[in-house]
Amino acid sequence: MAPVIEVEDLVKQYKRTKRAAVRGISLTVDEGQFFAFLGPNGAGKTTTISILTTTLAKTSGRVRIAGCDIDAQDRQVRQRIGVIAQRSSLDKILTAEENIRVHACLYGLWAWRPGFKLMPAAYRQRVRQLAEVVGVGDALFTRVGKLSGGMARKFEVVRSLIHTPPVLFLDEPTQGLDAVSRHDLWDYLDQVRREWGTTIFLTTHYIDEAEGADTVCLINHGRIAWCCPPQEMKRSLGADSLEEAYVDFLRQDEANHQGDDGQGGGGHTGVAARTGARS
Amino acid sequence: MSGLLTTAPTSRIASRGARELNAVWTVAARDILITVKRPSSAAAALVLPLIMMGMVGGNLMQNMTAGLDFDFGQFMFVGMLVNMLFMMTTMGMSSLVDDADDNYSAELLVSPVSRYAIVLGKIVGSSFVAVVGCLGVMLVGLAMDITLAPWQWLALLGLAPLMCLSGGALAMIVMGSIKSNKAANMVVMLITMPQMFLSGVIIPIGHSSGVLYLLSRVLPMTYCVDLGRAVAYAGRPDYDAVVLFNPAVSLLVIAGLTVLCLVVGTILYARSEKNR
Repeated sequence: MAPVIEVEDLVKQYKRTKRAAVRGISLTVDEGQFFAFLGPNGAGKTTTISILTTTLAKTSGRVRIAGCDIDAQDRQVRQRIGVIAQRSSLDKILTAEENIRVHACLYGLWAWRPGFKLMPAAYRQRVRQLAEVVGVGDALFTRVGKLSGGMARKFEVVRSLIHTPPVLFLDEPTQGLDAVSRHDLWDYLDQVRREWGTTIFLTTHYIDEAEGADTVCLINHGRIAWCCPPQEMKRSLGADSLEEAYVDFLRQDEANHQGDDGQGGGGHTGVAARTGARS
Repeated sequence: MSGLLTTAPTSRIASRGARELNAVWTVAARDILITVKRPSSAAAALVLPLIMMGMVGGNLMQNMTAGLDFDFGQFMFVGMLVNMLFMMTTMGMSSLVDDADDNYSAELLVSPVSRYAIVLGKIVGSSFVAVVGCLGVMLVGLAMDITLAPWQWLALLGLAPLMCLSGGALAMIVMGSIKSNKAANMVVMLITMPQMFLSGVIIPIGHSSGVLYLLSRVLPMTYCVDLGRAVAYAGRPDYDAVVLFNPAVSLLVIAGLTVLCLVVGTILYARSEKNR
């Protein structure tokens, strides 16, 4: 499997801050992998995902997505990724279909036409098909502002996949959703992975969602603290569930971090090496 | 369920130029759709000429323009048409801040199109409200018995895209780096209101002096309004009484400022989103 996300010594220091939000992280995600990027609030997850999706400039380091450098080939990177942001980025005044149409046209799939019926048959078929698969076909022409959070999130997934990106970035995609909506959404994402071989890069606070991941990567205080398959992490920490392992590890890591002078390096970087993770 | 996702489309629009043009039109079309679905800004654009032209201008016309050696009604009419094109486009650009507020900018900025295509699309979309505003000017003009000859309409129509572009570009200088809706609305008012009164839209500025003279020559809309009048009054005996500058000079100033504001504004917009 070829690497589809390559990150080397990524550093991000926001303006007017003393400490870097991301402090020299390196990781590799192979094609078709389900990669879960976990960590507590403020650990650097969203900063990292924003850099990888080209919406935030890095301070230093090297990042390649689907073989393209995020600095020199940012447009090519954007063509190859799908993004579901932490906060909904659907236009609430437009209908779900209009949101999808804008997206499809921005990605150059079809020329804009001012009505669903005026769009080419291929577009109409694809939108209906994807909406039916997610179970939101009936709400396609409903204004987004009138949709429930779960329905809107499903349409965001449809929108992010309309251009068939090889890499999908999901930044806390199930935040605020009820259990059934979460379950449905993951069924659909699993299907996408199976059928398209899409690489998924996930950040979430629902640790159980990462149980099925190929690799779990823990970030804390801007550094990668642990990176390995979830089973290995559970075994190493003697935990029954990934959530238990996650909480145990973070508590230990926080205790170790008490003496950290904030200059980078330290004991955390060694953890990933100790676990033998290549990601 | 299985197999439904296997028909994956590849990019249908082959050339990069065509994709960028399609992106401009798509961004514009979204803004037009929003205006149609939430018509408050279009309604305001229709009403504004009634206040500015019907009430302020009408009062001036009846009480203070007796000694003028040109038709004040037509003078104001052309000024208001240009003003609506310029000002409404400037005001419409605050939708960039609305997008950032609603997180829609995340969708725009992650799309594989140039930031210029996004900004140009926003300008084209904003100019839709400007056209509605012009319709308001026409209606008020009809009510006040002010009309233009068909060739004057055609000449102004030809200039309309430039007026909208310059208004939108000017807005980009500030909109690019503003994050709050409240601040954006304040700044738009600060940009548009002085221009409305100091650029010769309704009140002639041919005899301005001192600070007011300086301000009128610094404001971009002065050159837009003057170019509009130069075109609409071409070949008429009252041309010299109405037009201040050589139209070539106005055109050069507008073109130069538009390019400068568009480039600097777009760079600021892209940087403010990305370089935090």
